[in-house]
Amino acid sequence: MTAGITEKETAGQLLDDLYLDMFHLIEEHTQCRINLERSNASGAILLARTRFQHGGSNSVSTAQIPTENSAEFNALCRVVDSGDGISIQRQAVDKSKGFVEPLHWFSVLPPMSLRNAVSKFKDCIELVAESTNLQRQLVDALNWIAKLRQTALLN
Amino acid sequence: MLKSTIVDARVRLVPSKKMLDFLEAQKEHFQQVTENVAKVMKQKGLTLPVSTKIIKDNEVVTKRPKIDQALLKKITENIANTPKKPVNDKPDFSEKDDEENEETTEQPKNVLYLSDLHWLSSTLVELRSRDHCQVFLHQLIESCELILPENEMKPRNPELEARCQRLRAEQHNRDYLKMTKNVDAGLKNYPEDTISYQIKSLNKQIIAVVQFIFSVAAGFTFGFFGVNLMVGPLPFGFRILLGVIVALIIALAEMYFLAKKLHEYDEVLDAPKRKPQQPTPVKRKVVAQPPAEGSQVQKLKPHAD
Repeated sequence: MTAGITEKETAGQLLDDLYLDMFHLIEEHTQCRINLERSNASGAILLARTRFQHGGSNSVSTAQIPTENSAEFNALCRVVDSGDGISIQRQAVDKSKGFVEPLHWFSVLPPMSLRNAVSKFKDCIELVAESTNLQRQLVDALNWIAKLRQTALLN
Repeated sequence: MLKSTIVDARVRLVPSKKMLDFLEAQKEHFQQVTENVAKVMKQKGLTLPVSTKIIKDNEVVTKRPKIDQALLKKITENIANTPKKPVNDKPDFSEKDDEENEETTEQPKNVLYLSDLHWLSSTLVELRSRDHCQVFLHQLIESCELILPENEMKPRNPELEARCQRLRAEQHNRDYLKMTKNVDAGLKNYPEDTISYQIKSLNKQIIAVVQFIFSVAAGFTFGFFGVNLMVGPLPFGFRILLGVIVALIIALAEMYFLAKKLHEYDEVLDAPKRKPQQPTPVKRKVVAQPPAEGSQVQKLKPHAD
């Protein structure tokens, strides 16, 4: 009987912890999404400012992005899915190995606002990865909760 | 409607009757109570014993609990991985309903935050260890309503909306006119199609090109003669070289401005030459009764329509 009680106790404690963990994850995930939204919005504003200041013939536009017919190049940034969540791996710019600097598609001397926009969008990618990790953990926690609630120990 | 940024990212929990009853029943065993819980209890008409200490929210340890994965796996190992049936989370729905009816206005205030839940969890551990009760946090919160952080909906500023619509209509109108310029006979006789206009714009471009030639020639002359006059006699070859260098420098600078200017002309030619405030229907009217406007449109023949 005492063994049953302690087992019930641990199971209950575990479920409590899982619930608290779930609440934590929800809050962190929300915060992460908010940061993502902010950083994306400020990046977009900076990009818009670049386009506004350099209007006319030499504006930043999609026409300057390489198409299928352009020379090939390697991705600077990769998503690596390891055991504990995904992470972002960045490569240094190295023309001889095919890692080109995307900023140079638009102009040789990119304006400051465009540089800032790039750093904001880079932050965005990091935040997306972080948000994905949190979301995975949240789904895990929810699954554990659902499973644990089916055990006979708690009823 | 526009979604605005989430201001408060906290998870909120509306305490249920069950939880309040529990708080009421166990209140003399609490050593300390968080500020928020005390407020909620006070609003529900429950009083705390005087000896209870009220602590600030930030004094509660709110660390993410460490989950013992091994134990979790051990406990759940004999459960088949069946598709989860939805867990019935609303046993006391009617109860909640009449609660809400009572106090819909102050409901947003009566919520528990994460720090309160942490406090509750640690308190329950303590109570269980002292054998006051055998209640778990999950039993208390399963009847509570969880409020997730949500975006506020903001109506769009009507002024902005009206302006956007006007601008969009203007843009569409301009596009349409550009598209139908050489199809619609009624729109044909516009300034950019008359010979005088064409010659005028041609003149502008020719002048720009002639200016370029002149300045290059002047630069060469300066290099060829001017430098020679200033610093005594120079060999002929050197004079030519000087002239070419000066002319090249001027040509480079001038080329930039020329390209810019010619490009501007192109843009001007592309843009339709009419007042933005006059939408198409007005034009139609003008075509119907030519003498009214008394401008270039007058030259329209009556059968053009």
